[in-house]
Amino acid sequence: MIKQFFTLAIRNILKDKIFSFINFTNLIIGFATFILVTLIINEELSWDKKNENYDRIYRLQLFMDEPASTTQHTWSVTAALSRHDLVNLPEIEKIALLHDVSDNNMEGVFLSPDKKNQFLVRYGYFSDQTIFVILSFKFLEGDIHQALTQPNTIVLSKSLADKLFPSEKAIGKLVYGENKVHFTVTGVYADFPSNSSLNPQYLVPMISFAAISNFKDYESDYWSYAFYTYVLLKPNTNPANVDKQIYGALKNYRKEHHPYLRPLSMLHLNPYFHKDYWVFLTIISATALFILILSSINYINLQTANATTRLREIGIKKSVGFSKKMLLQQFVGESILTSFISGVLGIYLAQLSLPLFNKIIGSVVLTSVFDSWSLLGFILVVTLITGLLSGLYPAYVIASYNPVKALKQKFVQDDVNGFSLKKALIVIQFSISLFLLIVSFIVYKQTNYMLTMNMGYNHNNLMYANITTYKVGSFEPVRDRLLKHPEIEDACYSNYIPYILPGGDDLNWEGSKSDDKVFVRISKVSYDYVTTFKMQMACGRNFSRDYADKNSCLINETATRIFNWKDPIGKRMKVFGKDYTVVGVMKDYYPYSPHNAIEPHLFRLMADSVGLTGLYTVRFAPGKEQQAMQIVKDEFERSYPEDVAQFRDYEHLINIDLGNKGWESFRNITIFLAVLSIIISSIGLFGLVMFYAKRKLKEIGLRKVFGFSLGSLYFTMTSGFITYILLSVLLAWPAGYWVYKNLPGATRYPLQIWEFLLATAITLLVAILTISFQVMKASLVDPAQILKDE
Amino acid sequence: MIRTVKLTKIFGTEEVETTALNAINFEVKKGEFVAVMGPSGCGKSTLMNIIGLLDSPNSGECYFDGVDVARYKESQRTELRKGNIGFIFQSFNLIDELNVYENVELPLLALKTPGAERKRIVESLLEELKISHRKKHFPKQLSGGQQQRVAIARALVTKPKLILADEPTGNLDSANGEQVMQILEKLNIEGTTIVIVTHSAEHASRAHRIVNLFDGHIITEQFGKKFTTTKLFAEPVFIQEN
Repeated sequence: MIKQFFTLAIRNILKDKIFSFINFTNLIIGFATFILVTLIINEELSWDKKNENYDRIYRLQLFMDEPASTTQHTWSVTAALSRHDLVNLPEIEKIALLHDVSDNNMEGVFLSPDKKNQFLVRYGYFSDQTIFVILSFKFLEGDIHQALTQPNTIVLSKSLADKLFPSEKAIGKLVYGENKVHFTVTGVYADFPSNSSLNPQYLVPMISFAAISNFKDYESDYWSYAFYTYVLLKPNTNPANVDKQIYGALKNYRKEHHPYLRPLSMLHLNPYFHKDYWVFLTIISATALFILILSSINYINLQTANATTRLREIGIKKSVGFSKKMLLQQFVGESILTSFISGVLGIYLAQLSLPLFNKIIGSVVLTSVFDSWSLLGFILVVTLITGLLSGLYPAYVIASYNPVKALKQKFVQDDVNGFSLKKALIVIQFSISLFLLIVSFIVYKQTNYMLTMNMGYNHNNLMYANITTYKVGSFEPVRDRLLKHPEIEDACYSNYIPYILPGGDDLNWEGSKSDDKVFVRISKVSYDYVTTFKMQMACGRNFSRDYADKNSCLINETATRIFNWKDPIGKRMKVFGKDYTVVGVMKDYYPYSPHNAIEPHLFRLMADSVGLTGLYTVRFAPGKEQQAMQIVKDEFERSYPEDVAQFRDYEHLINIDLGNKGWESFRNITIFLAVLSIIISSIGLFGLVMFYAKRKLKEIGLRKVFGFSLGSLYFTMTSGFITYILLSVLLAWPAGYWVYKNLPGATRYPLQIWEFLLATAITLLVAILTISFQVMKASLVDPAQILKDE
Repeated sequence: MIRTVKLTKIFGTEEVETTALNAINFEVKKGEFVAVMGPSGCGKSTLMNIIGLLDSPNSGECYFDGVDVARYKESQRTELRKGNIGFIFQSFNLIDELNVYENVELPLLALKTPGAERKRIVESLLEELKISHRKKHFPKQLSGGQQQRVAIARALVTKPKLILADEPTGNLDSANGEQVMQILEKLNIEGTTIVIVTHSAEHASRAHRIVNLFDGHIITEQFGKKFTTTKLFAEPVFIQEN
């Protein structure tokens, strides 16, 4: 029986090659799409899993219980918490303290093997040696047990070691940092995979931190939040027990701040209890599932339509004694076989499509469909379930045919005026395609809106560099010399630039209760910060050399709203123990990305460069970038011969921003999926109309004989399908609106009707074109031939 | 073997009703060869479908081996049909995607006959009907006569008690038609009960009894050439009147 079943199934597939091609193409594309998106989801869910102790690793974070603050969670904690509070807890096996070496810029610090060839390297950390116990490092050179135990040593990732010391061993070599300090290489470790939330390019010992940063008592300081803390819990330990014990650890310092442990599994997807990433993943997952459902609906409709070609077989089998159950088993079995073959071919199509798909995604790189056997197994199970579920309805319809009618090969008539499952499936099919198109337009508009929106300052024609120098108080003369050149319009100095979010503190303000605290971002800027970035003042004035602004500050509009100051000029605030007077209010601007809400921000004056490290920003005349870059390079080489400076276009920051890249990926994926859904819908519609035309052949022939025009034929064939599409609007439009309302982020573009109208128009157009092809074909058939066959 | 009492079958939509069979009483004894004749639309095929358990009546009784099957559900009729009734159709009704061997084997698959036994039965039957040299061929590669012999083989493969043949020679030339009738006669002599629908008076005359239908009624019954009172009937059969 099984042999006959397989034989018949294969022969039926080969019998009607066009139908089989349509059927398989539909399912293969559906499966391939599902597989590609599953790879993305799997990649996103697989972050950090290469660590052996994955289930026991946590990061210490802070919850800031300040309802008025926009930021309520942070990774940035004090070193004292780990050195004094965590260290004695019985649940904890190991603790590692880390500090980002380049903590005020997004691009890193300069490392050099010889003080001449400089490499800007991001993601370097001061670190305790215990990090090698907590996270899984694989050392390729050096001894992991000795690494980071001595000051002024460094361990490098393999790719960094190859960059600094190509074709030679790195052990024992010297690495210079910003030409100021040097380290001896004591280890080289294998690169972390890209899906690692902590992915260090290099590590230097935490025991060197005090000397290099000049922050001597960091281990007992409960006020400075600047450290990462990773914790390895003992086996079978409940992290909630640790949370309970450390909840009030900062009560003598900032009582609204409560430390807690966040598991490693959440650090990539949801470190701070925001739904953003889950919304992205949910939309993409749902889209992939919808596309698979679309393929399945196509399959159901096509198989049910195709059942008319199997009528004789069904009638005969019933007449010789095949029970309904046996026929059900046969047709469900055929469906599972078709689905399984399509699934396997879909896997190969997905694999072949990976290079293109990686280009489309951009920010995530998928390597191979065959990387994970459990994933492949999951996909094959999905294909079997799809085959089973998709095959049930057509099999039931087929197995239920009256044997007498089946033997006479009488077509099963649809319920003309009433509800039928087939009609419902067609409506659902179009609803899914229309919905996906609408979502892709919404996401496209949202992405463009965020990438092109007015950030509140002018980020064109700017260049910047992070410089570490011992030459304090040196910037103003440099600025004066630069401004002598007509190519240079302005220049400033600051500890942070607008695109990089600074740290801050909990502040209260004039008129607030003593317990009122709000987390306020705090920057130090030179006189010309506002003018260099062409920010707008809402009221008051900017810092000025004509005033004694040492104790003056600027705040932004959000701060005045939160402080409830109707007239903010002259109001006072205490910052780090000193009193400041507000002299001006800046109009809000978007730091980092419009995806994030604007937070209250305070600016203190830094008359000249004071710290070791700062950011220099230069505004150049439009069209003069090359010349300006040379002028600035020459001036800084002359003024800071011992220091390393590499000026970059400010737009570079925006281009490397992972948040923007994430939105671009999201946009590209939704467009890709929407296009695929239209293709799949078209395939399904093509097949359905093909069967419909065959069934209506006699009517078409008669209409032609009686002189009906092509137009009336066209109307006859299309009117039913167009009705389904218009019904699908009732489902798809509200669903699309729901997606818009739930878009993550603080900013949403103003929704218009055209996204919905255009998507509907495209769906209608594709349907009309698909149907038109079949109408043209049918209209060319000789009516005499049709009627003779009848 | 088969007996109907006031059997009625009505086809219809909401607007129009057609009475295909109107309270007919019909009987076929075991071992009989009965021919059913009548003009198109008189209810011959409907009668065949009901006694073949492919369809059920609207009212009346239908006995198969003494059991009233008129109200049987489709699954019950299928179970009863399996192995007991064989069908031969005018248009052969072979499955195009199966070859000769696979078509003939079909009823044995429904009975879940083991593979080795299926092979033995099918090959022996194909040999007997002189079609075994074509067993790997597909229906489209066969002549009409060959296709009908395959259909006959399929009908016989389970050694059914009853063969129902609906115009088995309708699509054949006279030579092939004659061959088919000879096969049917031979089967009947060997004990198989046969009911045949035919337009051919010559073919019908080979039956024991000829039943004539008109507009859903049996109007006449007459004896064919095969009739002998000693073998089949204790009493002569009387003509039924409406």
